[in-house]
Amino acid sequence: MHHVTVDRWSRQESMLHARDPRAKLAALLLYLIVLATTPAAPTALLFSLQMFSYLALILAGIGAARLPVGALELRAMVVLPFSATFAIITWFAGDPSRASMLVVKSYLSALAVLLVVATTPMPLLMRGLESLGAPRIFVLLVQFLYRYLFVISEQAQHMRLASSCRMGTSKRNAAERFRAAAGAVSVLFARSHARAEGIQRAMLSRGFQGQFATGAGLHLRPADYVFLLASLLATASIRLAFPAR
Amino acid sequence: MHIPDNFLSTPVWATLDVVSLPAFAFISSRVGRDTEEGRIPLLGVLGAFVFAAQMINFPVGIGTSGHLVGGALLACTVGPAAATVVMTAILAIQAFVFQDGGVLALGANVFNMAIAGVLAGYLPYRLLGAGGWRKTGIFLGGFLSVLVSASLALTELLLSGVPMPRPVVTVSLGLFCVSALLEGAITLSVLGAIQRLNPGWVREHKPANRRTMLALGGVAVALAAVGFLIASADPDGLQRLGMQLGMAAKTTFQAPLADYSAPLGASAWVRRAAAGLAGLLAIYGACSLVGRLLTRPRSA
Repeated sequence: MHHVTVDRWSRQESMLHARDPRAKLAALLLYLIVLATTPAAPTALLFSLQMFSYLALILAGIGAARLPVGALELRAMVVLPFSATFAIITWFAGDPSRASMLVVKSYLSALAVLLVVATTPMPLLMRGLESLGAPRIFVLLVQFLYRYLFVISEQAQHMRLASSCRMGTSKRNAAERFRAAAGAVSVLFARSHARAEGIQRAMLSRGFQGQFATGAGLHLRPADYVFLLASLLATASIRLAFPAR
Repeated sequence: MHIPDNFLSTPVWATLDVVSLPAFAFISSRVGRDTEEGRIPLLGVLGAFVFAAQMINFPVGIGTSGHLVGGALLACTVGPAAATVVMTAILAIQAFVFQDGGVLALGANVFNMAIAGVLAGYLPYRLLGAGGWRKTGIFLGGFLSVLVSASLALTELLLSGVPMPRPVVTVSLGLFCVSALLEGAITLSVLGAIQRLNPGWVREHKPANRRTMLALGGVAVALAAVGFLIASADPDGLQRLGMQLGMAAKTTFQAPLADYSAPLGASAWVRRAAAGLAGLLAIYGACSLVGRLLTRPRSA
């Protein structure tokens, strides 16, 4: 499953992996905002040059993180079905430049987000968010959700497989199959409940104090400031180097 | 309907981020106060459940199928405030890990699905859930949660000036209605099955103060209906409004920092970026302050 791949990527070591999660989040936000507020360039050539410069910036990041470029680019394509649909509508509505902008920019944004997630383990990312002021209950919840997402999903897949092995749903009419699906979801709900109780008991017996132990605290090192400054300069110069229409 | 980045215009996503952040901070501080420590794993695992339940297909007929969205179901089982926080956690993971929905657009998606969607899913249940209209309330909750979220997303796209010809808008609204009906039916049958397994899992509430609740519900339904009608009757008008909003936002963003541009010797863009950053910082400060005040121990 691909999310396992992203999780494995995030635990590798590189220059970019070593940066403070807050610095990476700030750089991501900066990149996204600058990209989102970039107006259309006057000509198609300038537009593609500018977008390629933005792309080059992420590619440089992927290179610095020593991650597989092709695999990341492929993953980010999940936004394309949505943006392509709107791009086609926009194209037919007579605004081809806006259509290409929608596709390119939404793809670049997805790639940038993916780069940050693929270089930051989820617990560190959450720790960064918490030290930026995110509510503790939200941070805890996201971590539980992320941890058990794969477990419960696998359980749902097993249930689906088991049901089709028993041919339980193939020969009935739609109403009966609908009820069967509702039953399956409710059983999944019950199993999630039972699992949550087990988790809670296990955590209490291990002395859970309402906070995950994540090791050392976060420290912004000089390299983090250099990284942030470099991303600021790079994005700003791409933004300013091209004239607006 | 998860809106990716760069579909919404800057005034639209920035405004919705500004609206959603404090609302979310307020709701989660309330949930943090009211929830016992032991329930947090349950909320997290139920979030994972909503994710996983989307794999189970519900047949609709003629070869198509749909799946649970879950806002109303969560609201009826863990309560609306906790459901909002769980849905926000789901949306955040979808945006960051699965690239499903944008990061700048997260405020918009949270507003549509976690705040407005959950509220629209809970109100009918709260209103009708106690008496003989219980099933209607649950069905209406599922129906409205999807319809409100989707209509809001469509409205925001139109406000952002994404050109959509009238037939496209009509067809989308029709599709929203179909998926909303489906969500109502799924929520109703799943909640019924859950209640047969363990009645304690479905949230029971004290009989509400009927008059206030009816008034609230009436206002909500009227707002939704009006929005729906405006969107379907006049998408061009919405786009015009969007453009006007955009221009108003530009002038107000530029005005406060206009004098500082000369020494920087830079274009209008730097001014706007600086103003935007200052705005973000201000929001961040306000949210932290509100969060601190709200989470302060009551004995202090």
